[in-house]
Amino acid sequence: MPKCNKSEAQAIDYVYGELDASQVVDFEHHLSTCDNCTRNVNAYKHVLHLVDEAEAELTPHIIAPRNLEAKLYRRLAEVPPVKPTLHSRLSDFATGLLLTLREQKVVSFCLFIFAVISIAFFVGNPFRPAPTIDMSQIDSADARIEQYRHQDIQRSMEDVLRNKHLRNSDGWDTVSQLNRVKDQAQGTNWANIAKKHLKNVHSEL
Amino acid sequence: MDKLIDDEMLVTQFKSGSQKAFDELMKRYERKIFGYLLRSVRNYEDAEELTLEVFFKAYRALASWQPKAKFSTWLYTIASNLAIDYHRSKARKPVYMLEDEDVIEARVVATDISSNPEKQLEEKERGRIIREAVDELSSKQKAVFMLTRYEGLQIKEVAETLGMAEGTVKIHLHRATKKLQTLLRPLWENNEI
Ligand SMILES: [Zn+2]
Repeated sequence: MPKCNKSEAQAIDYVYGELDASQVVDFEHHLSTCDNCTRNVNAYKHVLHLVDEAEAELTPHIIAPRNLEAKLYRRLAEVPPVKPTLHSRLSDFATGLLLTLREQKVVSFCLFIFAVISIAFFVGNPFRPAPTIDMSQIDSADARIEQYRHQDIQRSMEDVLRNKHLRNSDGWDTVSQLNRVKDQAQGTNWANIAKKHLKNVHSEL
Repeated sequence: MDKLIDDEMLVTQFKSGSQKAFDELMKRYERKIFGYLLRSVRNYEDAEELTLEVFFKAYRALASWQPKAKFSTWLYTIASNLAIDYHRSKARKPVYMLEDEDVIEARVVATDISSNPEKQLEEKERGRIIREAVDELSSKQKAVFMLTRYEGLQIKEVAETLGMAEGTVKIHLHRATKKLQTLLRPLWENNEI
């Protein structure tokens, strides 16, 4: 048997698929003659297989956190907005230009050049700063939170209806779920919708 | 929002004032980032808290962010730094929040219902031991291992994410793999490979 001239690192790279095609051919040829490297490769493959299996047990539990948007906007509402720097504004301008060019190609390019020249000529400031990200200017933070509350209620309502129709929930289950949505939706139109559904379900019971 | 719009375009839209663009970015990545953090910290509540922190930081920094790398890579950078800080500050054993029943239930669904429960318990225990071995890796080794193995990042992208040279990423990956092999050897020395 020829003397082994391969490093353990090569065996690991091989297992991770990090060798290039010619290195793979060379290494596989070596494997056919080297028990030591074959043993290493098998061991690493086995370790990764075990870890993959153990980590796969977590996969069903990986679901997007609930209400992340609402929590984020609530948290953002508690801190003052960040103002972009002049440097970032100029870079944004360049990035915006590149992206526009990529999307709309020649026509937009001509229009854009024309626009820049006109603005530069008449106003003298083609690098008008991008609007500051300020919650109060776009939507008030409260409005955002309210919007997310509505989305949340809508999601709950969809859950109830899905359970009712697809999983054939027991009528009383549906009643209690609808009551919860009704409470959650107090002060919004959703509360009326929940009431209407409740009436229907009651008449079916 | 149009799936065909790429992340970079959404970032530009956000910078010119579109909140919806950020919502869409968040929708695209919240599950992935949460999954990465859950594997990293092994605790649901902390993973949720850190996911919120990632998007909070991203939102605040996005206005002055310059796209040197992909947006997703940048999110993983924020998440990795938070995870590394988390491990540094807590320096504690991970708390397994997974309900044992959940794991058993998932296995019952996935495997033969008639297989014996003792074996399931053994396998559950084995899964826990293996994840604990992964948690024995240094925080950088673990980040490199997780990003390559479970987040589908190329070595080059991991290097960008963690601000390391590609060679350093490979060294961490090699050390992680060898350490796992050493730690897990007793598991298969009883069984044939
Ligand atoms: Zn060899």
